[in-house]
Amino acid sequence: MSNLTLEHYLILSAVLLGIGLLGVFTRRNVIVVLFSIEILFNAANLNFIAFWRFGDQPEALMGPIFALFAIAVAAAEVAVGLALVIAVYRHFKTVDLEKLDTLKEE
Amino acid sequence: MIEQVAFYILSAVAVLGALLAVSRRNLVHGVFALLLFFAALSGLFVMLLADYVAAVQVLVYIGAVGILLLFTIMLTEHVTGDDLRRLGVRGWFWGLLLAVAVPAVLILPAVLNEKSAKAAPIVVAQGNPALANNATQANTVKALGKVLMEKYVVPLEVLALLLTAALIGAVAVAHAPEKDASGKDTPA
Amino acid sequence: MSTEKLALIPLLPLLAAVLTCGMRCGRRAAAVAIGAMSLSLAIALVMLANAWAHGGVQTVSLADWLVVGAAKIQFSLLLDPLSACMAAMVTFVGLLIFIYSSGYMKDDPRCARFFCYLSLFAAGMLGLVLANNLLLLFMSWEIVGVASYLLIGFWFHKPAAAAAGKKAFIVTRIGDMGFLIGILLAFTQAGTLELFDNGNGLLEKIPTGVVWGIGAAKLISLFLFCGAIGKSGQLPLHVWLPDAMEGPTPVSALIHAATMVAAGVFLVARTFPLFVEGQTLPLVAWVGGLTAFVAALIALGQYDIKRILAYSTVSQLGLMMVGLGTAATGAVGMFHLFTHAFFKALLFLGAGSIIHGCHEEQDIRRMGGIARAMPITTAAYLCGALALVAFPFTSGYFSKDAVLISAYGADRNLFYLCALTSLITALYVTRQCVYVFIGTHRGAQAPHESPPVLTAPLVILAAFALGLGGLAGNSLLAKLGAKHSEHPFAVIATSWAVALGGMLLGWVIYARRDLGRTTDPLALSALANKFYFDELYAATVGRLWTALTWLVVMLQELLAGVCELGVQLTQATGQFFARSVDVRLIDELTMDGLARRFHKGGEVATGFQTGLLSGYLRWIALGALAVGVFVHWLWK
Repeated sequence: MSNLTLEHYLILSAVLLGIGLLGVFTRRNVIVVLFSIEILFNAANLNFIAFWRFGDQPEALMGPIFALFAIAVAAAEVAVGLALVIAVYRHFKTVDLEKLDTLKEE
Repeated sequence: MIEQVAFYILSAVAVLGALLAVSRRNLVHGVFALLLFFAALSGLFVMLLADYVAAVQVLVYIGAVGILLLFTIMLTEHVTGDDLRRLGVRGWFWGLLLAVAVPAVLILPAVLNEKSAKAAPIVVAQGNPALANNATQANTVKALGKVLMEKYVVPLEVLALLLTAALIGAVAVAHAPEKDASGKDTPA
Repeated sequence: MSTEKLALIPLLPLLAAVLTCGMRCGRRAAAVAIGAMSLSLAIALVMLANAWAHGGVQTVSLADWLVVGAAKIQFSLLLDPLSACMAAMVTFVGLLIFIYSSGYMKDDPRCARFFCYLSLFAAGMLGLVLANNLLLLFMSWEIVGVASYLLIGFWFHKPAAAAAGKKAFIVTRIGDMGFLIGILLAFTQAGTLELFDNGNGLLEKIPTGVVWGIGAAKLISLFLFCGAIGKSGQLPLHVWLPDAMEGPTPVSALIHAATMVAAGVFLVARTFPLFVEGQTLPLVAWVGGLTAFVAALIALGQYDIKRILAYSTVSQLGLMMVGLGTAATGAVGMFHLFTHAFFKALLFLGAGSIIHGCHEEQDIRRMGGIARAMPITTAAYLCGALALVAFPFTSGYFSKDAVLISAYGADRNLFYLCALTSLITALYVTRQCVYVFIGTHRGAQAPHESPPVLTAPLVILAAFALGLGGLAGNSLLAKLGAKHSEHPFAVIATSWAVALGGMLLGWVIYARRDLGRTTDPLALSALANKFYFDELYAATVGRLWTALTWLVVMLQELLAGVCELGVQLTQATGQFFARSVDVRLIDELTMDGLARRFHKGGEVATGFQTGLLSGYLRWIALGALAVGVFVHWLWK
């Protein structure tokens, strides 16, 4: 078996992306959808770091910087997202996405 | 050799954790599976020599996001989530198909290109020798701090502002509308 | 002080705007805004001295803004006599108006907000003046537009004020569209938006390409002139300016006399080489001349003291355009702009003081006898009025003479038009002064003199209105690059004759008249109704929309008719076949079957709009998938 290459990490990250998408598409609980979005974010971060590690300019530190910023933005997103979940729950008494269909015109 | 073993173990834990997180009915179990996934990713970051990012991953995701998720589950009083079977066959089928197809589109070109041995659209360096030789294995924290405080200081401050705004926004959104003496709803 | 400090001139008012936007206390906000403006004025004066000594163009590049390949857009500022004079004038007049506002608005509950808007406006205007980059200029230009919208509509609880704010914003936007197109054209043709850049700037190396069969310089200058027309209230986009008088009076002075409306004139002067190269100057001159004449006529028929001044502003802006369009350099028009800024700001602030003293009365028919009650205001106002009339040896006389001389040299017809305009100007100014100052008071309450915080700026401005032209006129003209010209006797004589003659005529017509009761002989209905411009637009642009709507409705009717016909035909055929062929087969194949299939199709289409989040997300993913497949396999 050869050394670990970029492809290893990219494939792993693609698989994680797939799992995240699966959660987003099939689950109906808003909280689980938020889990899945976190998984998507992490898959992207893995990509950033992997490309940085195997890229031409590791001394430029672009990868970690990007990942750090992404983590911070994701944290903000989670905070607001969960606050929205609580607000939605208070309003509709449910967090089931299939029951939250007020976007559709009746 | 030990690197490969570590990689595969961590990958397996990450995939397993992610799968469990999206499939458990019990949300609290799901959160713990998610924490496992975060921890495995943190390990992968360590393997990629991004020690600072790994530390941040632990602090932010396992420390903060996990707790937030638990609190939300507690506040919404829904420890058990939806039953997957209730989704219906077609919902499952299309969701799964898309969830498989997107990564496939991402992975397939690389595989096909390897076979035809053509020049890949993106030239990928096969590991940076400087890193492989442990020359820069010394931690990146110092360099990172320097870059963050010099070149990226404005984005950093903007980010701080964003986080503050998110904090205030989250409080404002989640804040229960109170009834005041006159009986009108006071805006949050 | 080095030229790097130039950036402080617009940034200080901007800082003041940021600081004051959250304040509650009007007095503190006023102090902050006035402090920032004073500092700006001090720096601007130092820069003026610098520019005076240096004479040429100095540029300061602060930071990169957009870097796209080789093209680079910078935050860059420009110091030359033109921009330095403008900056000094804007800060000086602005400061006086700020001080005046602190007295005028002190009882308004939203006083702090007012100073925030004023500071924002000043920041935008100073950025506009100092910009060395068309895009930066445009950005500042839009800041000025937004601030003026906020200021005109400051008393938004008055429907007229809210409507006037909207009108100003939308009408100027029409011109700005042209301006933006001009900028884009300039960028594609010249590859840069810097005005001066060590020999590579837009004004130093004028683009020579041909677009749509027209020279690039001509096309760019035409589009830029569109922006100038909108902002400076030239025909046919002048309609917003008089309506903008709904704002508080200091706003009228700041926006509609000294600064914003001057922005269009300034733009033409700034990009003057493009206009020269594109040979668009005659157009500029004629648009200006016609505007000057029409607006002066309309001013004759107005009764609102501020509206008269507004139309007089439009008219004077037209004269500035004439000055720009007929001279070889931008100096003459700009000279008139400077003198006009002082005396028109004086007139507006004086009008504000009068309105204040007459208990918010704006109709000149209910004024009269103000001279005795408000001596300081009256004296200052008359100084401004004399400058506007171009009474010999006031500042207006020198600058208007320069315009007339330049028009005389370029186009004799234009000269006659300008002379006629001057005559009418003298006439309406006299009419207004007679109405306001002389005789007995016709209003309900007795007028009273305004406090010193209102009159002090008036006195300072009055000094400038009288003295600026004579003392500084020649050096100003020289620094701005005017060529020394002859003073033909005919022009001097005409100038004296129209100014004095117009005033005399006005005196003869109005002085002995019983103003409150008899009708005004010159306020013809066409003039009082502003030549029906608003009605014209309602009848043309408004009608156009109505017509378009009607067209759409008719098209719809037509389509419905065709459909109906189709249905009838199908039905007829169906009935025809029903008699001969098996009814069920026909029904299944054509009528019911088709309908059912359409229904099903509709159901499928409705199915996409589930209102469910995951459903929409799947469509997004499918789209991403399609893009991925396309990029990987179908590209090339």
